[in-house]
Amino acid sequence: MNRVDAYLIPALDGVAYGLLLFVVAAGLVLSFGVAGILNLAHGTLYAIGAYVAATLSDGSWLALLLALVAGVAATTAGGAALSGMLAPVPRGDHLTQALLTFGVALAGGSVLVMAFGAENLPVRVPATVDRPVDLAGHAYAGYRLVFIAVAAALALALHAVVTRTRAGMLVRAALDDPDMVACLGVSPARVRLGVLAASGALAGTAGVLGAPIIGPGPGTAATVLLLSLVVVVLGGHSGRSSVAGTLLAALAVGEIQTLGVALAPTAAPFLLFAAMAAVLAARSHGLIRRWSPA
Amino acid sequence: MYRSKVLAGLLALGVTVAAAGCGGEPEGSPGTIKVGLLASLSGTYQAIGTDMRDGFQLYLRTHGGKLGGHPIELVVADEGDGPPTAVPAATKLVKQDRVSVLTGIVGGGSAAGVYPVLTEAKIPFIGANARPAFKDVSRVWHTSYLSQETGASVAQYVRDHVDGSVYAIGPDYQGGHDQLKGFTEAFTKAGGTLANADGKTRFTPFPTTTNFTPYFAQIKASGAKAVYTFYAGTAAIDFVKQYSQSEIKDLPLYAAGFLTEGGVLNAQGPAARGIFSVLNYSPDLDNAENRSFVAAWKENHDAPPTTYAMASYDAAAVLDKAIGAAGDNPTPESINRAIGQLGQIDSPRGAWQFSKSTHSPVQKWYLRQVRQDGRALSNMVVTDLATVGK
Repeated sequence: MNRVDAYLIPALDGVAYGLLLFVVAAGLVLSFGVAGILNLAHGTLYAIGAYVAATLSDGSWLALLLALVAGVAATTAGGAALSGMLAPVPRGDHLTQALLTFGVALAGGSVLVMAFGAENLPVRVPATVDRPVDLAGHAYAGYRLVFIAVAAALALALHAVVTRTRAGMLVRAALDDPDMVACLGVSPARVRLGVLAASGALAGTAGVLGAPIIGPGPGTAATVLLLSLVVVVLGGHSGRSSVAGTLLAALAVGEIQTLGVALAPTAAPFLLFAAMAAVLAARSHGLIRRWSPA
Repeated sequence: MYRSKVLAGLLALGVTVAAAGCGGEPEGSPGTIKVGLLASLSGTYQAIGTDMRDGFQLYLRTHGGKLGGHPIELVVADEGDGPPTAVPAATKLVKQDRVSVLTGIVGGGSAAGVYPVLTEAKIPFIGANARPAFKDVSRVWHTSYLSQETGASVAQYVRDHVDGSVYAIGPDYQGGHDQLKGFTEAFTKAGGTLANADGKTRFTPFPTTTNFTPYFAQIKASGAKAVYTFYAGTAAIDFVKQYSQSEIKDLPLYAAGFLTEGGVLNAQGPAARGIFSVLNYSPDLDNAENRSFVAAWKENHDAPPTTYAMASYDAAAVLDKAIGAAGDNPTPESINRAIGQLGQIDSPRGAWQFSKSTHSPVQKWYLRQVRQDGRALSNMVVTDLATVGK
């Protein structure tokens, strides 16, 4: 069999995995980069989305749509609630933020286990895409193919919002000089609320759509938080991250987890963190230092 | 959180002290025997633990609450996820409740951790699931199986029915190593070839592996004609669902029965259809013991009984015979001696007996396939396999 051919499916799967991580990590980058908030409850917001998907999914498109609406509503509200809790914490006090959001993550995790049980829940995907699809002689899960398309569209939309809209301009301005933005009459509290709600919405979207890939269970929040933190670090850890840098880092993590495992299975347990250490040793500011809008 | 734990601990202490106070006087009717059952009633293995508890209680219920003519007081305790919860729970059963016999225990780690408590108290242990390596088995008995036996029993069948090499893959922890080693050793001994590069089983990081796609690509590239595996719990769900939509979906999948046993089969759904698995039990076995066992089980459960419930039911059956043969005043010592002299035990799995050397069953194994059974999917017996144990 052709040497390259055998790695086609893992490579494609790496894209699906990477795009999923991108959607989650984009939320984390947003809250860290713009509002300066280190949100360790971000993985919990993903888990909420995934649990909603597991509860509502019944194999129809309507149920998926319903889950998306309900899941995103829940996690947006969750993000807004976090913003309220963080109001008394001064900007840049990362230790207090981390402790507070970590506490929320622990309590939230226990509540989720109490509500849904300690087992991993099955998630049903719409019946029309719940089958393998033929790709150049290889079979690949239909749902993941759809997911790649949807997540790619999301990435493009996010890019457009950041570069072309007024909200995006505000986001970029807040990134560069939050004090000046405040002077111009935009309340920092409103920026924080908007950013955390949007960040929650991204986590919820990823949770609902990604539930068939990283499913809801007691370990979901920690897994997702860890992977998206890796993406944030690789994407440029100076707090001045970008859509493109995050995307590149997320795809790299996805490929390491799939193509990397296929190429070097014996190294599977430590491949990801070895790669992270290598990138940080070579370029301490991540894969792309800073991306400036065209 | 910490304070509430302390409070809960104090409360529990108060309750047990009160219970011990009451228990002192009446002491039950003469001849009552206390049996301790330790199983995971919370945490990762909750489903298995509750099956084991229900299996034991079912035997008691269908036998008038007596074993060997003596009324039984069953004391149930929660094993949790492993030794940190299992050892204190076992210590309480032994020291406070003063049980004469202990049964149950889901996890290998828990069993190994509880072992010193049992040796010190010199009471017999009838394990109904995991069986780690013990130095001395003189008071340890298992109604389940040894990890290597599962794969060993199906090796010859796979050799005879697969035209080509077989790929072996499993989780990277002790139980996974034992399960896969049982298969690969017997399989290569029978003249079979492994498709794995350099002939070594592929072990996937546990429990971190949730995406098996890269491994499926390797299996495809290896040119294997079939796959043998062992996964349980969440990993079993992920593996089966992804397998059914992967490029090796048409390769026959043989597995240790736990891949499709109990609750995981529900979660896997149609993705599990057609999977072959090997186990010492199947709910559709055609014998009198099994028919009455399944009928009684279904009175209180929607799903058919699992091997976990069956093994625990058999632990009660073993005690029933042994206590009956242990004299008028059975002691832990005399019960243990009586277990050693038991002959064949009629069980829902078919008749079996304890091995003199390993104290685990010499029993027949069955090849099962996931098929539609009425409205639900079920593991149905395809054929008998080897009788294993020595």
